Amino acid sequence: MQTDSPIQVQDLKKQYGSFQAVKGISFEVRPGEVFGLLGPNGAGKTSTVEILEGIRARSSGDVKVLGFDPDRQKSALKDRIGVCLQATNLPDKITVKEALDLFASFYSKTVDGDALLKRLQLWEKRDVGYGTLSGGQKQRLALAMALINDPQLLFLDEPSTGLDPQARLEIRDLVEELRKEQRTILLTTHYIEEAERLCDRVAIIDSGHIIAIGTPRELQEKSSGQSTIDIRCSAPLPEDLPAWPNVARSTRTHNGTGLTVVSTQAARTLVELVKWVDAAGLELVDVNLKRPTLEDVFIELTGKKLRE
Amino acid sequence: MKAYIALIQIELKLALRNRSALFFNYAFPLIFFFIFAQSFHAEQGGAILQVVAMVATIGVIGNGLFGAGMRAVQEREQGILRRYKVTPISPVPLLTASIVTGVIIYVPFIAVMLLLAKTIYHMPMPAQVSSLFVFVIFGVTAFRSIGLIIAAVVNSMQESVILVQIAYFAMLFLSGASFPITIFPNWLQNLTQFIPATYLVSGFQGILLRNESIAQNTTAVLALIVTAAVALFVATKIFRWEKEEKVRNSAKLWILAVLVPFFLMGTYQAYSKDNVEKARLDTRVLRRSRNFLYRNARIFIGDGKVIENGAVLVKNGKFEEIYEGAGPDPKSVNAEAVEAAGKTILPGLIDVHVHLSAPGGIADETYKMDDKMFERKLAAYLYSGVTAVKSVGDPDELALKTKAKVNRGQRLGAEFFICGPLFTAEGGHGTEYFKQMPEKFRAAAQASFARTPKTAEEARQQVDELKKQGVDGIKAVLQGGMAGYAFNRLDLGLLRAISTESKAQGLPLTVHTGEAKDVADALDAGTNGIEHGSLRDAIPVELFTRMAKDGVFYDPTMSVFEGLEQLSERKSTLFNRSLVQQTQTKEMLAATRKMLATKPSAAPFEANREIAIANLRAAYKAGVMLVTGSDAGNPMVFHGPTVQREMELWVEAGLPATVALQAATANAARFLRVGNRVGMIKKGFEATMILVDGNPVQDIRLMETISSVMFKGERVDRSELFDQE
Repeated sequence: MQTDSPIQVQDLKKQYGSFQAVKGISFEVRPGEVFGLLGPNGAGKTSTVEILEGIRARSSGDVKVLGFDPDRQKSALKDRIGVCLQATNLPDKITVKEALDLFASFYSKTVDGDALLKRLQLWEKRDVGYGTLSGGQKQRLALAMALINDPQLLFLDEPSTGLDPQARLEIRDLVEELRKEQRTILLTTHYIEEAERLCDRVAIIDSGHIIAIGTPRELQEKSSGQSTIDIRCSAPLPEDLPAWPNVARSTRTHNGTGLTVVSTQAARTLVELVKWVDAAGLELVDVNLKRPTLEDVFIELTGKKLRE
Repeated sequence: MKAYIALIQIELKLALRNRSALFFNYAFPLIFFFIFAQSFHAEQGGAILQVVAMVATIGVIGNGLFGAGMRAVQEREQGILRRYKVTPISPVPLLTASIVTGVIIYVPFIAVMLLLAKTIYHMPMPAQVSSLFVFVIFGVTAFRSIGLIIAAVVNSMQESVILVQIAYFAMLFLSGASFPITIFPNWLQNLTQFIPATYLVSGFQGILLRNESIAQNTTAVLALIVTAAVALFVATKIFRWEKEEKVRNSAKLWILAVLVPFFLMGTYQAYSKDNVEKARLDTRVLRRSRNFLYRNARIFIGDGKVIENGAVLVKNGKFEEIYEGAGPDPKSVNAEAVEAAGKTILPGLIDVHVHLSAPGGIADETYKMDDKMFERKLAAYLYSGVTAVKSVGDPDELALKTKAKVNRGQRLGAEFFICGPLFTAEGGHGTEYFKQMPEKFRAAAQASFARTPKTAEEARQQVDELKKQGVDGIKAVLQGGMAGYAFNRLDLGLLRAISTESKAQGLPLTVHTGEAKDVADALDAGTNGIEHGSLRDAIPVELFTRMAKDGVFYDPTMSVFEGLEQLSERKSTLFNRSLVQQTQTKEMLAATRKMLATKPSAAPFEANREIAIANLRAAYKAGVMLVTGSDAGNPMVFHGPTVQREMELWVEAGLPATVALQAATANAARFLRVGNRVGMIKKGFEATMILVDGNPVQDIRLMETISSVMFKGERVDRSELFDQE
């Protein structure tokens, strides 16, 4: 484990009465990376994040966040991190600027709030009451508040959940920007494609255990999942299909002009397919390769859907 | 520090943007203010101070329980606190900001209310305005802390609504904030002392009604500070940021910790009754502060003058103005009009010679010589229109204790003036009552009732001692042997020493005399008054002329001679007088009735009342300053309508009714050395007066037809006088 990693977790356990929510997990988040924590509800995700944020005590294990012990150096830790909570609220009548100024007063080091508002496209709304903001605006304000102390480590808990697609895209763009600024980000999300797109690495957590960890690509590759190849030709394909190696099954589509092949060795199968179409003297109109998604990996690993 | 300031600023801004916060902090208490002011007739007197105290309390309770308590729960339920949780701040600045904001929001309301009270209802500004504001700060702090502790122990908005409402209404109705606690039964009054808001009310009342400073309300202030400290400490300890965190039921017991100081103080108060007594005094102050206009009455001024048709304006316990004719429009003087046509207003009557320790009628085995019995007798006097009495020989401790209590207004009764023990010779008159007592009690009883100095120095020391204890005058007995008794006569040298020292101490001296020689010697010694005069011989005119010239008062006590005569003859006309029947305890009435049914005594009362009557006439003719004393406590001289019978006896003796009435009012007041404040219906004097039906100048017996009694501005509820707990 690298000593300069902003988050270092070793054999973390959390017990609630007789229920063990976190059963001894270990991972680290490296400087400047966006680390995704994926898991179904009740997997121990929230407990883990809250322990790291210093708002919940752990039962055992070693945890270092920015070099602090979150149990014993709570306020020093909280002064240095930025947190964007999922279910949070502000008084309806507080204005955007007031809220940001108020939270600025809690920290020892802050950045220029006005600049932050402009960057997050909230400048026009600075004197508007929180209660009248749209969901996306509220989330941008939450991000602004998380950034007011210029944290090098950010915890983003479901930053785009409940937002319309447009707002979701805006938030994702912002996270990408933050990554470019070399901030370390721990992200929890329900959106697999969000994790795939934003995260450098992800950990899949289930029933208190980390069951997989790595880059999204690594996870996909580790998976025993199968890719799907779709082809379309100008004329119907021959009746008899050859027995290609590594192919699990194949199905004709589009009145015989199309074919869907499921393969465990997509690249090889694709070559075989193209050769076969050529040999048949047909013209290839369209080819589509679908690799297994993180979602597929997730379902395969946990047996659960992420958004259950 | 910047977090504190930012939080307070935001809380203030949010409160000012919040319509319901503004309504509950300002509009709501103001509605109470006007409703109370109207229903208490605040424009007609000092009730406005009470109204301000009540509304200030109601506002503080609301500010604390709703403003701090409910809002804290709301912020938790809405997930606002959750957002604070991931920042470096602790609960301390949040709780502090809530309290400071409450104070800042509430203080202007108090200022506005004071201003309204002053401009609309002419409220006199309290002497300690700064104390008032300091107390408001303590009060809001304590009640917001209570609100925050409620917020800390409830698990949901519903729970907080229930708890806050219970606390709010209990405090509203039981603390004295909406009704004076003195109207509650005793057990409930004791219970109120366990309620935090009671201390708020008592503090406000102290500062507003009694013009006290914060330092004089240490109990109240201490209670509030302890509450705030305990509540804040606990609230910090069990602070919850999220509604998902539930508090264990056992943690709810913390709320009891906040109530511990009140439990202790309630226990202390239930024992000491300090607060209950204070509340009683406040009620007294209020009742004495109302404005009345008595009109169309005949007014006997007290100095002999009579206004046949006039009006009297009473304000703040004093006579504000006396009018000949119809008087002003009551509205223009903010007074309640009282129609008094066909009635006569007179100053309250004064009896300068009573012994409260003696029963008056016949005592049975239930008769107990204690302060309750003294208070009851003073109530009987007030009931009968005798608004001041002077005790000339009663146990010192009991007399002093009663005097303090009644004259403060804690109990309603005739104003009490005392001489305490009387000065007499060893074996002189005044010591005979103790001869039958067992040896071991005799010395103590006699010591509290009589002083028998051996030397002039001892006499002087005893006078000084009594002055220190707070007596209003000195009484000495100068009487030699009388048929049936062999009294030792007080040495004249000692009498002179007593007289000189009394003068030096500013105490009026009055001397009990048995015959003309005693009167002469008492005058030589320099006495200020003569009690009884002589039953045995005529007092020479020269002595009366000398008394008139020197301004020595003469108290002929005609009543006691008649009483003794009726006792020995078993006559019941004195006993059967209506006011006597109205004012005596049923035990005394029964025992006396029983005694009057027995056979007359073998040795009849020997004194010749004709001599006393002749002496009274001579004194009147000589122009002596006459005063009315009854020697009540003696048989058939019942504590109550004493002055009425004394005056009747004088009129029967041929003196004009106006002379008797003046003796019973202005003269007696001068003898008590309070002629500058009582005894006359005069501007600036205490509003102590009686209303009787008809014209007593024509028929002195009408003095018993009392229609109402006003004592120091309070319309006395006569039916409640014997019911004072």
